[in-house]
This record gives sequence, C-alpha cells and structure tokens, in this order.
Amino acid sequence: MTERDLKSSNMAKAKALPVGHYRGLGVWNFFFMVFLYAPIAVLIFYSFNANRMVINWTGFGVEWYIKAFNNEDIQDAVWNSLIVAFVATGVATTIATIGALILARGGNFKGKTASLGLMMLPLMVPEIVTAVAVLIFFATIGLNWGLGNVIIAHITFCIPFAFMPIRARLEGMDTTMEQAARDLYASEWETFRYITVPMLMPGIVAGAMLSFVISLDDFIITLMVGGAGSTTLPVYIYSMIRRGLTPEINAVSTLLLLFSVAIVTAYWFVSKKSNTKTVH
Amino acid sequence: MSKWLPKSAAARRWLGLTPAYVMIGIFMLVPISIMAVYSFLEPNPYGGVLPEPSVAAYVKLFLEYDLEDNLVFNPGYINIIFRSFQLSIMATVICLVMGFPVAYYITLQPENKRNIYIYLITIPFWTNLLIRTFAWIIILGRGGVIETPLLNLGIIDDSLKMMYTDGAIAIGLTYSYLPLMVLPIYASLEKLDFRLLEAASDLYSSRFQIMTKVVIPLCKPGIVAGCILVFIPCIGAFIAPNLLGGGKKLMLGSLVQFQFASARNWPFGSALSMLLLSAVVVALIFYARSARKKEYIQGTA
Amino acid sequence: MPAASIDVRGVSKIYNPGSQQPVKALDTVSLSIADNEFFTLLGPSGCGKTTLLRLIAGFEQVSGGEILLFGEEIAHLQPSQRSVNTVFQHYALFPHMSVAENVGFGLERLKKPKDEVVSTVKRMLSLVKMDHLADRRPSQLSGGQQQRVALARALAPSPKVLLLDEPLSALDLKLRQTMREELKQLQRETGITFVFVTHDQDEALAMSDRIAVMSEGHIQQIGSPTEIYEHPVNQFVADFIGDSNFLDGEIIAIEDDIVTCKIGSESVFEAENSGNHAVGDQVTLFLRPEKISLTHSTDESTDNHRRGKVSNIVYLGNEAAYTVDMGDGISLMAQARPKEDGNLPFAIDDDIAVGYSNRALRVLAK
Ligand SMILES: Nc1ncnc2c1ncn2[C@@H]1O[C@H](COP(=O)(O)OP(=O)(O)OP(=O)(O)O)[C@@H](O)[C@H]1O
Ligand SMILES: [Mg+2]
Repeated sequence: MTERDLKSSNMAKAKALPVGHYRGLGVWNFFFMVFLYAPIAVLIFYSFNANRMVINWTGFGVEWYIKAFNNEDIQDAVWNSLIVAFVATGVATTIATIGALILARGGNFKGKTASLGLMMLPLMVPEIVTAVAVLIFFATIGLNWGLGNVIIAHITFCIPFAFMPIRARLEGMDTTMEQAARDLYASEWETFRYITVPMLMPGIVAGAMLSFVISLDDFIITLMVGGAGSTTLPVYIYSMIRRGLTPEINAVSTLLLLFSVAIVTAYWFVSKKSNTKTVH
Repeated sequence: MSKWLPKSAAARRWLGLTPAYVMIGIFMLVPISIMAVYSFLEPNPYGGVLPEPSVAAYVKLFLEYDLEDNLVFNPGYINIIFRSFQLSIMATVICLVMGFPVAYYITLQPENKRNIYIYLITIPFWTNLLIRTFAWIIILGRGGVIETPLLNLGIIDDSLKMMYTDGAIAIGLTYSYLPLMVLPIYASLEKLDFRLLEAASDLYSSRFQIMTKVVIPLCKPGIVAGCILVFIPCIGAFIAPNLLGGGKKLMLGSLVQFQFASARNWPFGSALSMLLLSAVVVALIFYARSARKKEYIQGTA
Repeated sequence: MPAASIDVRGVSKIYNPGSQQPVKALDTVSLSIADNEFFTLLGPSGCGKTTLLRLIAGFEQVSGGEILLFGEEIAHLQPSQRSVNTVFQHYALFPHMSVAENVGFGLERLKKPKDEVVSTVKRMLSLVKMDHLADRRPSQLSGGQQQRVALARALAPSPKVLLLDEPLSALDLKLRQTMREELKQLQRETGITFVFVTHDQDEALAMSDRIAVMSEGHIQQIGSPTEIYEHPVNQFVADFIGDSNFLDGEIIAIEDDIVTCKIGSESVFEAENSGNHAVGDQVTLFLRPEKISLTHSTDESTDNHRRGKVSNIVYLGNEAAYTVDMGDGISLMAQARPKEDGNLPFAIDDDIAVGYSNRALRVLAK
C-alpha cells in the first residue's frame, strides 16, 4: 500500500478498498447470476405444476414427468437425438483429431492457414444460413436419407467444436515427450500409440463431449434439414410449444437440461484434470 | 498401420485432412455457393427455383409491385432488416454493460472461486437455447411469473402485454448470448497485470480513471471479441424473435426461415441469407483488424 | 589412444536455412570423446550446446560434417536406432505413466522379455534410490526425484552413451551439489560415456574428465578441468571460467621463458612465456586473483612485489575480494581471508604489498 492509500483510508474511516476494487461489484455479480439462473429455475419449478396450463400454478405434481416418459413421440425423438448425437460425435471427433494432429504437428505447409479457417468455418456462419444452405443442397442433389441428412449436417457443424479442445491440448503438449520416446527406441507408430494418443486423450474426450452437447441441443438446423420421421427432441419440444404450453414441455426440457449439464460438468472435470496433469 | 500410409509427409498430410475438407467443403462451402447462385434465380411457386437468371430477389428487398403492376418502394423488409440491426446492437450493448462488471469481478476473485463462477457462466451457454427462451415465455407471458403477483396485489389491473414486443426479443437475445460476452472479456482481463493498476493509482489516477485509462484500453480486444461473438448470432437469431416476437416482430433470421418453410420463395430467402452472411463478414473483418492492432501494440511494447 | 565413442567431424548446423533469418547454431565443430569419458560441453546460453546434443541423439540433422558413433556414421539412423539415450533438460517424463512404466518404456520398445524388464527397472530404481516410489506418477514427485527417474529411464536400456542436457539446472543449490557427486559416481560405476551439457562452470570443473568450452557455435578449447582453468587459450575461456585479472599491453622484451610487457604508460610486468610471441606483439596478460598474495609489508617469498592501495572491498564470508589500485590506471582483483577474529585484514585506502609468482602471470594471445 502506498502512503497515499493509507492517508485516504484514515480519512474515509471505513477500510479503503484495495486498488482495482470497486463498490457494488459483488452485488452486480449476484444479480447477474440471478438473471442467468432465474429463468432456468422457473422452468424447472413449473415442471412440477399439476395444472394443464404451465402458467396457472395449482399444486405440486410429477404427473407431467410420467406423461412425458410415456409419450411415444418423445421416446422416438429421444432415440433420434441420441442416434444423431452419437454418430455425429464419433465421426466429427475422428475427423477433428486427425485434422488437429496434422495442423498442430505437421510442420508448416502451404494451405495451413486456409485449412484452419475451413475447420472453423461452421462456427462463423450463422446457424440459420447453414440450415437453409444445407436444405437447398440436399434438395438440389435430391439426397433424401431422412435421419442421414440430419447426421451429415450435424457432423459438419460439430467438427470445430471437437477440433478446438483437441488442438488446444496439442499446442500445450511440447514435442519433447515424443522425442523422449523415440530416444527410448520407440518406432513412429509406437510413439503415436503409447505417447501421443494417451496424452491427447483428455482433449479428445473434451472435444467429443462438446460435440455431443452441441449436437443434442441443435434445433434450427435439424428443423430445416430433417424431414418427417427425423424429429429430434428439440424439434419435438418446439412443436409442443407451438401447440400449447403444458408443463409436459417443462418436464421434458428439465430432463434435457439436466442431461446437458451433466455432460458439461463431466467435461469441466476432464479438462481441469488434464490441465493439472500437464504441469510438471 | 504406418506401413499402409503413404511415405511422403505431404501425401499423408492431405490424406489426413481430406475427410475434413470433404465434410466442410461439400456440406458447407458448396451449399453456400449454391445458395448464392439461387439468390439470382426465379422462384418456383411450388418450392425450389426456376433456372432463369433474375435479380428479382434483391429488388424485392426495396420494391414491390402495386395493384397496377408498378414498382413502388416497400419499406416492409427494410424495416425488418433495420430492426434486426437495432435489436442486435441493443442486445450487444446490454450484454456488455451487464457482463463487463461481472467479468471484472470474477477476475478479482481467488482462483478456485473464479473457476466456479466461470463454470456457472458457461453452463447456460451449453444448455438448450430453445428451452432457455421458452422459460422467458413463462416469465413474461400473459398471467406469467411477473404479471400474476402484480395483478394479485392490484398494482396493475390489466396485462402488461410484455410478450410479442421488441423489448421481449431484446431480453431473449441478451439472455441467449450473455455468456459469450463475459468469457472473452474475462479471458483478456485475466491476463491483465494488476500491478499496472497500482502503478496508475500511484501516479494519482482516481478509481474511475484507472478503469477508463488502464483497464478498458488493455482489455479492449476482449471487449471487441465479446461484442462480435454476441452480435453475430443475434443478427441471425431465429428462436428469440420466433417465440418472444410471436412471428409478428420478425428479424432477419426468422424472415429467412419463413421464406423456406412457408412462403416458398427460395431466391428471396437466399438473398436474405447472403445479406446476413455479408453482415457477418463485415463484423469479422472489423474483428480481425482490431486483433491485428492488438498484435501491433503488443509487438512494440 | 582408446577408441573414440563419439567423433564429431566438422559439424555445422544451420536452423531455418534458406529462410529470412537462418541461424548458424554450430560452425564446423570437431571433437572426439573417448569411451568411458565424462565429457562436458560448457558455454553461455545460446552457444549451441543443446544443438550439438540433439544432433548426436538424432533429433536434428547436421547441415555439414559428420558424426561417428564408435566409428560408424550415424546420419541415416533414426533416434530409436542409436544406442544413445538422453536425459532431457526438463526431464520429459511421460505424465500418464508411473515411475516404473517410465523406466521400463525403452526396454519394452526393445522387446526385452517381461521378467528382464521388471528386474532391470528394479535395479535402475534402486541405483537412483527411487525404488520406494515406483508406482507414483511424475507429477507427484519433487524436482530432484523426477531428475533421478529421468536418469534411471535413460540408463535402463544400457546405452553406450548418455547425453545429459543441463540435468541439474532445475534443482536448488544443495540438491545440485549432492546430485553432482551421485552422477559422477554413477558414471564411474556404469562405465558409460557421459556427454554432459551445462553452463555452470563449477559443475563442469567438479565432474568432468574433459571439458569443451563453446561460444557462439565454436569450440574455444578442449581440455581437462585443470588445463582449462590454469591454461586457458584465450580471453573468452579465461573470463568464462573463474575470475581473472586482464592486463592489455605490448611485449617489449623476451628472455628465455620470461616475457616483459609494458602495461599502461610506464608499468612493466614480467610473465611466463606461453608460446610463440614476438617483441612488439599486443597481448593480454592474465592473472587469477587467488594467485595474488596481499600483505601489509612486502612478502619476500614471491617473485614479484609491488605496492598498491585498496580501493574497494566485497565481503563474501569465507573471504573478501579486494580491488587494489596499482597506479598508472591499473587495478587488480585479489582475495584475502578474514583474520581469526573475523575482521578483515585490510581497510579501504590502506597501502599494501601485492605479490605473485612469475608463473602465475600468463600471456594470452590476442
Ligand atoms: N529449432 C530452432 N530453430 C531456430 N533456431 C534455433 C532452434 N533451436 C536453437 N536455435 C538457435 O540456435 C542457437 C543455439 O541454441 P542451443 O539451444 O543449442 O543453445 P544452448 O547452448 O543449448 O543454450 P541454453 O544454455 O540456453 O540451453 C541459439 O541462437 C538458438 O536461438
Ligand atoms: Mg540448451
């Protein structure tokens, strides 16, 4: 503390804030968090409404959860969502892993920046544009594979989400480990198999989790690209909202929400762990 | 495995990148190019396009045929485009005003608390946008969470009619993309050397001056990044205007969707998409330039 | 002469050749390292020590010249095909493997039978006194422990040559001194050729059989620690190792093995003739501070005695470093021990006697 700070703290009587601190920040942060979480809390709260209408609270009940579980359309939608998410995640993560390995470890080559830009392109184009562009494309070439169309679109926009954590992890990993392995008589393939892949694993897992959540939550692209019979859960929820607001929507939404939060939390721990691991 | 891979490094490289090129090239670049072509064709009234070149889709943005077949100015679409920009800018500014102090507050916290706050801020971002917007219908809607207690207490005696307004859309957009503002600002504040603030204070800066002369200039790249990250999805938003604007207060995103889902005017929808894309490109160029400036400053420091 | 384990012949290394800024890290370096030798590469940061090591290990390719390992050219060999192991600068222990797995890694790659791997790992870990921590992960070890594991890992496949890149630089002073002795002992026991990189002169002097002093990609001198310390070939080596007084002057007379030089405007110093010098040569004379004796009255046992005035004192605990003004713009650094009661023998401005033997003052070529 400087002399001046001491003086002003004496004058102000109350303990002076340290430099860089401002009054009211904590309160602001509190209300910010309330703003962020209140809608989610309201959503969950009303899922336990016994009334037919979401908004009229008449009493506590879990019947809408039971109804949602027994709704065959919802079951189908969940299946579709899971199939799409699993396939898209698997393919996108594989593509992204190979791409990241080449872009981070392949040295400098012509077209590297362009390749990086291409990998990240789906992140930059607004979703609605992607959605209609892919819709036009499938219509033009006459591709009509139902859920297959949706999966193709999902793979495309999941690639950057899988790519980012994998590349970040690779850039944080210096090549000395691989050199050490080569020094200890490992072949190129053994080095990849025993050193690169295990050390990259947290990044791959993180990338896969992100793609999974992104695919699971996607609504607009699926809405435009998917035809009848390829309704995913978010698309089904949208049609429920259009039909009328029943607490069943809240119940399904709550479940989807909790599922996403669980995955993101797992991701959080994976990436935290991998961060502490690289420190030596 | 290494046996059946090509020998040369370059060949391996291209082989490995091919799947990514194929996926993103064929299912992203090619569709956007086709869309660009479609925006210059005639619409097929049954959906799709007729292979006749035309600029009708772009003309339609400003002009329409009146009853006597004369081209007259039509402000309708211009208004929607204008509103899209207005609401997106509004949401971006609100996000900035709300988010900056929070990002700053988080930076001041000890490490473990910081991680918890960042976790709390990322969670809504990874949860379904549709669901989060739907929650606002319950809050703002007729007889919803806000209205009901006010009505019961007799403070108001009629519905506030908060739904289906620009305000509702702005709130929805703000809520949707708020985390995208906080995270990059936090990332740049986290790198800020707090001894600089002490130095500024030592050199007779007031708290306000420390903020405006040291903190904000130094984390400007984060602020710009946050604004771009919020603005881009806002301008193409579909869910918020659709659910909270009720299909009456359209924005660019919902207008595009409408052209494909209901109006069956693909060229016009494509033209609108091209407009959206160019807005994004302009925003990204702006961002790239500010990022380069940052490199320049850091390079000379 | 015993067979050379490593022969470096005219090796150059240029990084980023053909680019805007090529870096010449090594310039026609030649040296020969004998079998079972503890050989040290010593030099300031950026002089190319790591580069030379990486060339031997096979992580980089030479730009010119050749490297022979036991008489065999190795340019075409992958790192995994060279019977050379490296202890990396920051150890590079595999974080996802236990200590034992790390040590066994090389043996497994060499397809050694399981029981041999297990027994060798055990032997190596007890050699570096780490057997009790075999199941730990590297992140759960202290710096010194990681260092030992890195050593055990590199020794396990019984390489013919061990390359060590500043293995002690990350350790604190005390630990560094202990590890110094352990390393030296390990080398003696295993009989493996050690090529040791450091920029710490004490480390180099304490451990090495021979030292190569490097600077800016060139080798300045190769020799035993005493040769390097006592007979540096040039000012760089003399300056880099230990403390020195340098006196620039001109030779005015040569008589047998005594060279007489004029320093400053009128002072005359006599020094040992170390080579081919001629009258009129511009030379630098060099004198180690510890070879100078400081006394109150003239010490008749030394060859040379002069008088000077104490101009500065730096107290170092076990001794004090004195700067003595000899007049004529010449000042000498010297050392003296504190007296038994702990007080220093001389004070600033004291007029004292400065003595040294003829052999202590040497001529360095310009
Ligand atoms: N991969 C590289 N690309 C370009 N220049 C390099 C590379 N590696 C090293 N250099 C340069 O080559 C020179 C020698 O580097 P080297 O690492 O061999 O030094 P060193 O003697 O080991 O130094 P230190 O004691 O700091 O480790 C330095 O100027 C360095 O900047
Ligand atoms: Mg080095």
